Amino acid sequence: MSKKRDRLQIIYDILSVIKEKNGKIKPTNVLYRSNLSNQMFIEYMNELLQKGFIVENKTKKGKTYSLMQKGFDYVNKYQMIIDFSSSFGLSE
Amino acid sequence: MDYVIVPHWFIGYNSILEMMFFVITSLVGAYALRIYKLSGQRQSKLFGISFLLISAAYLIQSILNFAASYSMAEGCSMRSMTAVHSLSNFGIYVHMILFITGLVTLAYMTLKIKNIKAYALFLAAILAVLLLSSNKLYFFYALSSILLIYISFYYLRNYLKNKKMSALIVFAAFLSLLFGKIHFIFSIDHGAFYVAGHLLELVAYVLIMINLINVVRK
Repeated sequence: MSKKRDRLQIIYDILSVIKEKNGKIKPTNVLYRSNLSNQMFIEYMNELLQKGFIVENKTKKGKTYSLMQKGFDYVNKYQMIIDFSSSFGLSE
Repeated sequence: MDYVIVPHWFIGYNSILEMMFFVITSLVGAYALRIYKLSGQRQSKLFGISFLLISAAYLIQSILNFAASYSMAEGCSMRSMTAVHSLSNFGIYVHMILFITGLVTLAYMTLKIKNIKAYALFLAAILAVLLLSSNKLYFFYALSSILLIYISFYYLRNYLKNKKMSALIVFAAFLSLLFGKIHFIFSIDHGAFYVAGHLLELVAYVLIMINLINVVRK
């Protein structure tokens, strides 16, 4: 598997976790379910926030994350790539 | 060169079917290249190129068959009939080269290796066999069938690995395409096989189209 694909897969995994519990997921849950090191997790989350894929919500109980339209689009497109690739045998 | 026997009633329908195959393979090829643009996945690029080559082969075949049926229906002069015949011969060569190159590219994609020299050698060997054979049309269908046997096995393994309905549809499509090509081998002697070959190809491409629609609609 190529480096680029690994990165795309990680982003998909993070966004999918947030999508599942949209607006209610805490950073620790995302970190746990995305299976990344703390350092890597911070880098990816900062990038996703900067690029407008996700948004941070501050509540009394702490921080939560939810997806922006760009994030939803990414998840849908990535799912489409997976479906096309698996059915036509294109997975590397 | 040998020719296939086309039943009289089927003339015209063959051209329409080939135009349909052109549209479907173009759509799949273009979609695969879009996936490549989004993912950078090399397999998608090869898959897209192979389908676009096959689509170009069908476009040429459809135009040629239309020109032949038109010249027969209009009762053209001997001179224009000869021109259509010469053009037809040239077109058949182009169709065969494009189709075989498409299948070789698809087979190369399934090997999942990154070696352009191996691809060039593979393609050159197959094209040499095709172009140097005395019975080109027969060899074209035979070589296509051999490549499709290999590709069908690949898609069978893909289905057994994924166990998804979409993978089963694609396997069934390539199996149908294989049986279609086998029927074309016999169409050199019997017209009914030519019709059966086209109908099996229609089943194959409709299945591929169904799979593409399912992926896009999600």
